[in-house]
Amino acid sequence: MEGLDTILYGGIPRTNTILLTGSCGTGKTSLALEFLIHGALKGENSLFVSVTENSEKLLANIIPYRFFDRSLIKSGRLVFVDLPIMYERLGMTKPELSMEEIDLLVAAIADLAKELGTKRLVIDSITSICYKLKTSEKIRDFVLKLSKSLSDLNCTSILVGEVAAQSSAYSSYGVEEAIADGIILMANMERRGDLLRTLQVIKMRGTMHSRAKYVLDLTPMGVLLVPLLKGGSTG
Amino acid sequence: MTQEAMSAQKIADELAEMPSASAISLQMSVDNYLDVLRGVLDLFSNKKQMDTIYVTATISSEAIKRVLEALDIDSSRIFFVDCISHIMMGASSAQSDDNTTLVESPTMLENLMLKVEYLIRRSESKDKLVVLDSINSLAIHNNNWILSEFLHILVSGLRSREAYTVILSVEEHSTPEINNMVNLVCDHGIRVGKEG
Repeated sequence: MEGLDTILYGGIPRTNTILLTGSCGTGKTSLALEFLIHGALKGENSLFVSVTENSEKLLANIIPYRFFDRSLIKSGRLVFVDLPIMYERLGMTKPELSMEEIDLLVAAIADLAKELGTKRLVIDSITSICYKLKTSEKIRDFVLKLSKSLSDLNCTSILVGEVAAQSSAYSSYGVEEAIADGIILMANMERRGDLLRTLQVIKMRGTMHSRAKYVLDLTPMGVLLVPLLKGGSTG
Repeated sequence: MTQEAMSAQKIADELAEMPSASAISLQMSVDNYLDVLRGVLDLFSNKKQMDTIYVTATISSEAIKRVLEALDIDSSRIFFVDCISHIMMGASSAQSDDNTTLVESPTMLENLMLKVEYLIRRSESKDKLVVLDSINSLAIHNNNWILSEFLHILVSGLRSREAYTVILSVEEHSTPEINNMVNLVCDHGIRVGKEG
């Protein structure tokens, strides 16, 4: 991920838990998938936990990345898991999870990551899980425990977050951002009637990073970035 | 040799003297547009078997393809970034294909850079040429400040990728500000036209 690695002065630090946040249509899932595919290509076992979208549908709509090799899935290097199936197996059928169920869910995800030898993990989206947690305390507890469990497994994780288009917050519940080691914000920026997809690294523990806003394009060669031209910036 | 053929050959010869990663300003008269196309795309780029990324903000890529066909210039290694078809014709009639990438508007300069970057990465050719046609057309849609910033970032990026950059400007439509902007980022200037 040449562009992102450059603005992070080398890439996401290992074992970090990153909140990749933004409104719909900003390219969060594509960027997260690219992160996993590159990891898998490098021989790191990678796991995508899909919360809202069926993973088969997700794969059918994936950008035709030139570097994507379906054998990564066949070989188990890249694994897709649908969280609703996990909920079902764990008997979590109620709309709100209890504290015990949160522990159970964290343990289930961590056990799966351990069993698969996962080094890169994406949860898309953490916001959808938070809908079942309801309170700030439960969300904090869940994100903290999950982050620690994955870090203990030497796993680098991306938690995809969703925010409303005009929101100035980095997460729907205002909790996830405080706990994450890093925040990457993706947005749609309107300039003189043109809608630009933008990316900005807000925080990243363990590395220096650019704080500038970049414009991105989702291409078969991966996510490409160029600096936002300041001459036309509205904000 | 006709006057036109001499102009085209002169352009190609001057470009051939430049090392890769050079940025060249090519100022022409409207009347010399076809000589420039032949000199740059045929006698220089095609002869050196390099991929060309042609950014068009003046006329549609379809129109340029027709001109190249009429001039009997092979366009198989020319990849267009077309910034004008979308706003001229709308998305339904303007078509992207393997050799043509559309940018919605010439005001989306970042997207223009991203499409160039994508084509540069996709190209397997050792040498690459990027032609910007033209700075005057882009100046219609963008102010000088943002255009200057755009040129600086684009040319710096292309230099780091060892690509040739040729920036076309039309003598009759140029202003001192535009000329200064182009001169600031270019290593060499070629003039083809009334005073060229």
